Amino acid sequence: MTASFAGVPCLAVAFPATGLAYNTLVVLVAVATVGCAGGVVGTLALLRKRPLLGDAAAHATLVGAAAIVLLTGRRDLPTLLTGAAASSFAALCLLALIRRCTRTRDDAATAILIGVSFGAGVSVVTWMMARGLPGSGTIEQLLLGHAAAVTARDATLLAAVALATVLVVAATLKETVAVAFDAAFAAAGGWPVGLIDNAVTALVVLMVVVGLPTAGGVLVSALLVIPPVAARQWTERVGPLLVLAGLVGLASAVLGVLASIAWPGLPTGPAVVLSAALICLVSILGAPGRGLVARRWRERELVRRWAAGRLTEEGLALERGLHEPWGLAAGPSITVPESRRP
Amino acid sequence: MMPQPSPPIVEFHDVTVAYGGRPVLWNVDLAIEQACLFGVIGPNGAGKSTLLKAALGLVPVVGGYVRFFGTSLSRVRGRVGYVPQRETVDWDFPVNVMDVVLMGTYGRLGWLARPGRRERALALECLDRVGLADVATRQIGRLSGGQQQRVFLARALAQQADVYLFDEPLAGVDARSQERIFGVLAALRDAGRLVIVVHHDLRMAVAWFDRVALLDMRLVAAGPTQEVLTPEHLRRAYAGRVELLDELGRAVAERGRTA
Repeated sequence: MTASFAGVPCLAVAFPATGLAYNTLVVLVAVATVGCAGGVVGTLALLRKRPLLGDAAAHATLVGAAAIVLLTGRRDLPTLLTGAAASSFAALCLLALIRRCTRTRDDAATAILIGVSFGAGVSVVTWMMARGLPGSGTIEQLLLGHAAAVTARDATLLAAVALATVLVVAATLKETVAVAFDAAFAAAGGWPVGLIDNAVTALVVLMVVVGLPTAGGVLVSALLVIPPVAARQWTERVGPLLVLAGLVGLASAVLGVLASIAWPGLPTGPAVVLSAALICLVSILGAPGRGLVARRWRERELVRRWAAGRLTEEGLALERGLHEPWGLAAGPSITVPESRRP
Repeated sequence: MMPQPSPPIVEFHDVTVAYGGRPVLWNVDLAIEQACLFGVIGPNGAGKSTLLKAALGLVPVVGGYVRFFGTSLSRVRGRVGYVPQRETVDWDFPVNVMDVVLMGTYGRLGWLARPGRRERALALECLDRVGLADVATRQIGRLSGGQQQRVFLARALAQQADVYLFDEPLAGVDARSQERIFGVLAALRDAGRLVIVVHHDLRMAVAWFDRVALLDMRLVAAGPTQEVLTPEHLRRAYAGRVELLDELGRAVAERGRTA
């Protein structure tokens, strides 16, 4: 058994110079792997136009974690996370059912589910506390996250699950992207769209559950949404998008952990989410191509050139041709209508 | 022993389709026996797109069945290609033109296999046929409407099917792309494929399709274009829209003279 945890002590030995305490390193490994895999899996949810999937999954974890403590009396992390995953997946299956069988709008159904499942969870935990049952404190830690309580053994478990998730995403990328882009075409071609959607849902649940101990139920879903949105600003291809989203998640995790060390009052989970938000903001503003600044600059440039009488379709088409290989050239705003091209 | 007649390429048998308890297609009986350019024509809300979706199993049927080559679709998926309406996808999706066309090869590849050199060569050839080889690496949102429709067409070509179902391939498409698309459809027909096209414009239907089905929630008529698009059939399908009928009468008469 001990052999499987050897990775973390090895890292501790490898970086004595960083001056990080062993516990900090454990937290860093746990948060970083979760952040990285969260970004990758969140990209799939975002491509499928279901960014709230993670939110729904996260809010439904509480009731399952509480129920499993009541049923088994055990309070260790793997048990808690198993319960959380079960109720979370059940909730998302219910959501899929609502989507298929009723005429409720998808976002409305998601919002209902978030509220109801969270309400149920809070009720059960409050009832446990009122009765003086053990375990409610541990469950509350899942709600807000408590990275410092993560042990080396937990970190190894989280890292293993996160790594496995990334591998599954990489292996099935062709199928998930085909369904996300054009579900009707995929279905007509015989692909089981429902099954592939459920698989993505299961991955989202897995990532949310893995992220619970560090970021907590309320914030973990942010780690599935913010990194892909940030990464999308920099690329127009799915492959680089996944890699970048993973890297943004990783960078946010490292930044967040370091920030929480620098400011001891700052909890790790929120620090990670705020770091991700910062990277996202910088990306939305500063990315070439899609970024706000770049787009504004191009619009201004057009106005200037028009005023100077140097705005011609031929010139723009030529420039676009020159910029094409980098894929960062002008957006649709200056597309030359096909009918008017020479 | 009697020789078995070969089954129709597509056969709709008494197909009825409903959305939320309200039937939108009633008892459609239609068999297409041979490769041709086949138009599905009718007013808005006539159930034209629904007919295609029912054939592909994308909407459940209340009753009746659809067969391809005398068997169920699930056995001949690889022989049936589909081109949905352009508006059904998000054109800001982070894929380029080549990526989308490669998706046409996925059915043949099966689970987990990635498109390789052969698929890329095929995709490029398909792009060439629709005149888009020079924009293969462009993000799909940075194309005109007509170019986007041609990307979908190239993706269908990459499926290498025997039957193609097109849902409004010429809607919102500039004249040059229309010509190009129609040229590719005609070439498919000439290569022995059955090409079924949902289309809303009656005048073009007269000029382009070999055979048509006139639809208004029920099948009004089906067969060779000029036999189907008669004033009487059209009156039944487009009840009350007289000015349209006059225009069409002229178009049919013109085609009669030139044919």
